[in-house]
Amino acid sequence: MDATFINLMRDPAGVPFFPVVFQGLYILTWALHAAFVLLALGALGLSLYGSTKQKTDSNWKIFNPHLIMTGKISVSMLILLGIAPLLFTQVIYDSGWYVANTLSGAFVFIFVYALIAGYMMYYWYSSANKKSNGGTLIGLISFVILVFCGILMHNFAVESISPDKWQEWYAPNGVIDNSGLNFHIDIIRLAFMVSLTIPVVGIFMQNYSDFLSTRKDFSSEYLTFVKNLGTKLAVVGLLISAVLFVVWMLQVGLLFHPVVLATIVSVVILLLLAMRNKNSYVTTGILVVVALFISGVRELIRYNIMSGLGYDLYGYPMNLEWETIIMFLLTFVILGFTGIAFILTMAWKIGKREGVFDASKDVAVTRLANVTLAIFVIWIVVYFAWGMVALFKNTL
Amino acid sequence: MEMLGLYPVFYFPNYGSAWLMGLTGTIHIMASHTSVGAGLLFAFLAHKAYKEDRPELYDYMKRYGMFLLIFSYVIGSITGPGIWYTATAASPRGISALIHNFVWVWATEWVFFIYEVIGVFALIYFIDKVDRKTHLKLTYTFAIASVGTLALIIGIISFMMWPGNDAYYNTGSASDAFFGVNTFPHMFLRIGFMIMMSGIIGMIISSSMKKENLSLSKELTQKMGIVSLLGGFLTLLSFMWYIMTLPVNAHAILGITLDSIIMNRIILSILFSVYFGIAIFKPQWISRTLAITMMFVIGIAGVWPGEKLRESMRKPYVAGQYIYSNNIISRDVPGKGIKNEVPLLAANGYLKMDPWVPTRLRTITPENKLEVGKMLVTRACSNCHSLEKYGSYRPMMGLVGKIAQDEAGIKSYIKNVIGTGSSPYMPKIALPDEEYDAMAAWIATQAK
Ligand code: HEC
Ligand code: HEM
Repeated sequence: MDATFINLMRDPAGVPFFPVVFQGLYILTWALHAAFVLLALGALGLSLYGSTKQKTDSNWKIFNPHLIMTGKISVSMLILLGIAPLLFTQVIYDSGWYVANTLSGAFVFIFVYALIAGYMMYYWYSSANKKSNGGTLIGLISFVILVFCGILMHNFAVESISPDKWQEWYAPNGVIDNSGLNFHIDIIRLAFMVSLTIPVVGIFMQNYSDFLSTRKDFSSEYLTFVKNLGTKLAVVGLLISAVLFVVWMLQVGLLFHPVVLATIVSVVILLLLAMRNKNSYVTTGILVVVALFISGVRELIRYNIMSGLGYDLYGYPMNLEWETIIMFLLTFVILGFTGIAFILTMAWKIGKREGVFDASKDVAVTRLANVTLAIFVIWIVVYFAWGMVALFKNTL
Repeated sequence: MEMLGLYPVFYFPNYGSAWLMGLTGTIHIMASHTSVGAGLLFAFLAHKAYKEDRPELYDYMKRYGMFLLIFSYVIGSITGPGIWYTATAASPRGISALIHNFVWVWATEWVFFIYEVIGVFALIYFIDKVDRKTHLKLTYTFAIASVGTLALIIGIISFMMWPGNDAYYNTGSASDAFFGVNTFPHMFLRIGFMIMMSGIIGMIISSSMKKENLSLSKELTQKMGIVSLLGGFLTLLSFMWYIMTLPVNAHAILGITLDSIIMNRIILSILFSVYFGIAIFKPQWISRTLAITMMFVIGIAGVWPGEKLRESMRKPYVAGQYIYSNNIISRDVPGKGIKNEVPLLAANGYLKMDPWVPTRLRTITPENKLEVGKMLVTRACSNCHSLEKYGSYRPMMGLVGKIAQDEAGIKSYIKNVIGTGSSPYMPKIALPDEEYDAMAAWIATQAK
């Protein structure tokens, strides 16, 4: 096994931009995907416990519906945020991604429908919980299905970084298997990923409590309850994750790599901050840093494996493509940031008060709304103008 | 020797892997088109509610929105990447070609998509939490964002059919590939359908509001009828325009099936015109059951055949008319430095050029001949045909049975028809003679 085999599968069209940019974007966006995966599973998992307490415990009665809602929105977010790394990984590591997808083709299909089923069941759970404070069983099934989806994702990730096994997996003992039923997991790595759900939901609970502390319709006793429970989960969860992380790093032989050491330091800082429980927004900031580091470590592992075989990522043939990257950058930075700022500012201000929020009297929100609308209109105009010019140039 | 950048073959028994993609695609179209249509409809309703001060319309939007969240966004946002995933499993090099041409377009669409999904939660959950004017602005941006996602994907899927002109092959530019002659007709075809779908779904909601508010329910059903009718009209007009912008090879397949398609479209048009007519003139006759049934009718009788047709018309290519469905590159694309692989394969054969052939099968022996034959047929044909005799997806053994009875006849067909590129809808699969022998031998054992 060497890189000629991998290089063969590189797309003959080449990459449309510098590979390092895709690599950076991959690390960034996967960290976001992971953050919401962890929050979704953590919130859903914890809400299952909550739904058994909810009938008798007044704190859980308030908290559980919020937990369920958080998980529900997070699943949408994780899907959304999964799309970006899905794009970038197959630009620069196309060989690995496509081999994993064909070796496990049947699981690809199962993944899609399992995710639909799991998410639909989640909505069912959510409405059952609203009606009767129950639905635990439905929620549990949904949880199991969504965890299964995560295991399948992990399976694809493991396959895509095992080039030396590809041929054996495709044709065990020289007999080809087209069934797409390959399934391979790396238990330590998986356990580590799953364990992170606990601290993430814990830190979320600290945030939740801080956020609502300005509202009069939530008692401080309730908020303290949520916060303390969150702290406990965060601390215990982080300890478990830290141990698993070290074992995983030993397994891949990277424990003393600078990026890994930096990750460990940032985890320790996170642990201290979560324990001190002073300003949870700062804690979340560090959590984001940790997520980026973990994403970086994943990429480091893959990069080492691939370049160890002689795969020259940065030497991927390139056909520079200016028009579309400019479109992306402008859209991402101008439209994306303004638009999301508009909705999030509005959401933040709505969440901070009871009753109707008159945003038309709020200068910041109104300005954001108007600017967003204007940017969208301009975008559409530019799109059609560009299309017309391209068409006329090529057909007349 | 330099080999070809092929991937493992995933084959789903009886249906073939491409069929899985069609199924996911159909579901996705229903969901995603409804959500874009609903984006436009919401802008219209919110505008009306605001200008005419009609708070009851917000209740309708809220109900519609909850339905949408579950139906369109859950299903739509999963089947979107889902098509992509299943398409990857079926045609890795086809998807790879799209990704490597259009990654930034997709990334741009992703920005819109994020806005759309965060927006839909805000739109629904903030209806009575924020003032109406700001809500109206949100609805407008949401509508444009929804159309934006279509505007961005449409050039990519139109490119799958064909680039629309030769410029792309020389420049390799994504912009030339994106805006072909097919792009805009295709876009309006879909916008028409989206508007119609938003009305069809809207009737499900409005017809189930009869108990609480009969006159509102009637008024809304009526409006949805008008919306659907207009959408349907736009769909039909654009469909004709769309057909005129298709490439030559598409007409080959279209020619085979054109009569039945036209029949299907005429029946559907009449049926749905009557349905929309009832909604407009006798809105109380529309019940929820009827409305739901009609949604399934449009899905099963309209979208599913439409998707299968679009897939067929693209044959023998999977993307850009430079890459065949069986993952072989069929022409030079100087703009990207891409080389035609057909002659290479003809000279050396799969056994030498496919990196995934196990060593023991690289040379044909009397013992492994059938196994090699099966491997080659799976590699070369299974993307478009199911291999079982009674398979459901263009069953190859059945088709072969109509043409040749014995091994020699089969070989001569593959070699002289497919091997020379004489079939308008099949790739040119030119191979060394011994590989044809092995394929024919295996097919003969299966077709019996
Ligand atoms: C790009 C997709 C594609 C590939 C690859 C393909 N076919 Fe076909 N084939 C078709 C289509 C489309 C038809 C028309 C089917 C119909 O009439 O329903 C067809 C029809 C046939 C027929 C019926 C005769 C005819 O000409 O209509 C035979 C026999 C056949 N294919 C054999 C093969 C064999 C053998 C291979 C592999 C060497 C193969 N096909 C590969 C798409 C393909
Ligand atoms: C419930 C649903 C999902 C769960 C629980 C989940 C979980 C995970 C996990 C645990 C990993 C890391 C695997 C590992 O490194 O071992 C991962 C990676 C990934 N996920 Fe998801 N995911 C889900 C849905 C999705 C969806 C819908 C998409 C695409 C739109 C997606 C895209 C990705 C990508 C691209 C990677 C990186 C793969 C790689 O490059 O190695 N995920 N996901």
